[in-house]
Amino acid sequence: MSEAAIVIERVAKSFGPNQVLQDVSITVPAGQTLALLGRNGAGKTTTIRILLGMIPADCGVVRLGGLDPVTDSVKVLGQVGYLAEDQTMYPWMTPIELFRFLAPFYPTWDMKLAHDYLERFAIPRHTKISRLSKGQAVKLGLGLALAHRPSIVILDDPAMGLDPIARKEFNRDLVDNLQVSGATVLYSSHLLDEVESVSDAVAILDRGRIVRSGLTESLRDEVKQILLPLDYARAKMPPEGLLDVRRHDDRLVIIADHAREFIEDLSAKSIDFNVVDLRLDEIFEAFVIGRTQDWPSESASQAVTASP
Amino acid sequence: MYIRIERGSSSPISRQIAEQIRSQCLAGILKPGRCLPSVRQLASELAVNVNTIVRVYERLASEGFVELRHGEGTFVLPPTKASSSIAELRGQREQFSREFNAMVTRGLLLGLAPSELRAMLTTAALEAKSMILKQKQSE
Repeated sequence: MSEAAIVIERVAKSFGPNQVLQDVSITVPAGQTLALLGRNGAGKTTTIRILLGMIPADCGVVRLGGLDPVTDSVKVLGQVGYLAEDQTMYPWMTPIELFRFLAPFYPTWDMKLAHDYLERFAIPRHTKISRLSKGQAVKLGLGLALAHRPSIVILDDPAMGLDPIARKEFNRDLVDNLQVSGATVLYSSHLLDEVESVSDAVAILDRGRIVRSGLTESLRDEVKQILLPLDYARAKMPPEGLLDVRRHDDRLVIIADHAREFIEDLSAKSIDFNVVDLRLDEIFEAFVIGRTQDWPSESASQAVTASP
Repeated sequence: MYIRIERGSSSPISRQIAEQIRSQCLAGILKPGRCLPSVRQLASELAVNVNTIVRVYERLASEGFVELRHGEGTFVLPPTKASSSIAELRGQREQFSREFNAMVTRGLLLGLAPSELRAMLTTAALEAKSMILKQKQSE
């Protein structure tokens, strides 16, 4: 495997008394696509800004294509395409004027490619940017981010504000224009349905911490919902990766990470139980708002330790 | 090649794609020698990660369903070892039967009577039959 194109290692960041990021580590191997998932305010944009060297981290290491974005900012920005959240572009310019304005900043700017993107994304050339639809503006932003043929692309919530069809088109553009050319992509999102089909890996950011990361598909193999009899659970320790517990009459419905051992144990004891595959949004929910207090115990005071 | 992805399904996308190609090979809808769409093409058509499609094709190749010819494309293989494809079919049927049992359990838990489940099965089978027939004709 080639070396990682994007590395974030043990990064922390506070704004005044607010710790926004704690011990955040993310690695994206070259040519892969990672989706950074989190609710609003989880720290996605801060992570991306630190990654691009736009704000300094309090501690930790950040590398883009092996380079430090703070000390090597010119070189780094030359090989990175970036689409900001809610990008405010110069609204009085037309796309063509914007291209002419931006091209000199990038040594590798490809004007023909930029025009190709306008064509491909069906963006009007001579309409003021303020008059473009949200979808057109996002696509224009993407075109701008890609017109200098970056090997690393960072997109901050590109799907935000797009309607369902524009989102699907955007996903297709991501596949067509980035993955096919071998670019490494990190993008943030809180729309989980769309993430699964385009990302190799996901990282779940919650209140400034990475609570789970992994390949999209192995995550679904490893996190399972299990239905088991309440009476049986009462006499048993909860599994280590317990994420969520709900009681339904005489049954317990739990979600657990790395649950294989626990499930094997259940099978060996011929307990009447059920294992359910979860969708990515359910897995995300379990990590972010899962509650583990309800594990039944004989003595109510017995504390239950919860991962992650 | 007709592939339908159910987004937000609890079955991973690569599994959905692989299973549909496999069953189309087994059912003879995809004939031996037929060239599958390129990785790029299929990824773009389905708006699915390129690496996912690569993994699906590689898995199908390792299972003997298709052959990856460098620079030429991915081709459906004839069921050379009938036994291996029969074993494959048996495995798939077992898997299906487990899924079916789980569905039945869920239906019963939802309060559906066996007779209602039976009626649902009859309707679904009729619909599916005519869909498969149409697909075969258009191939």
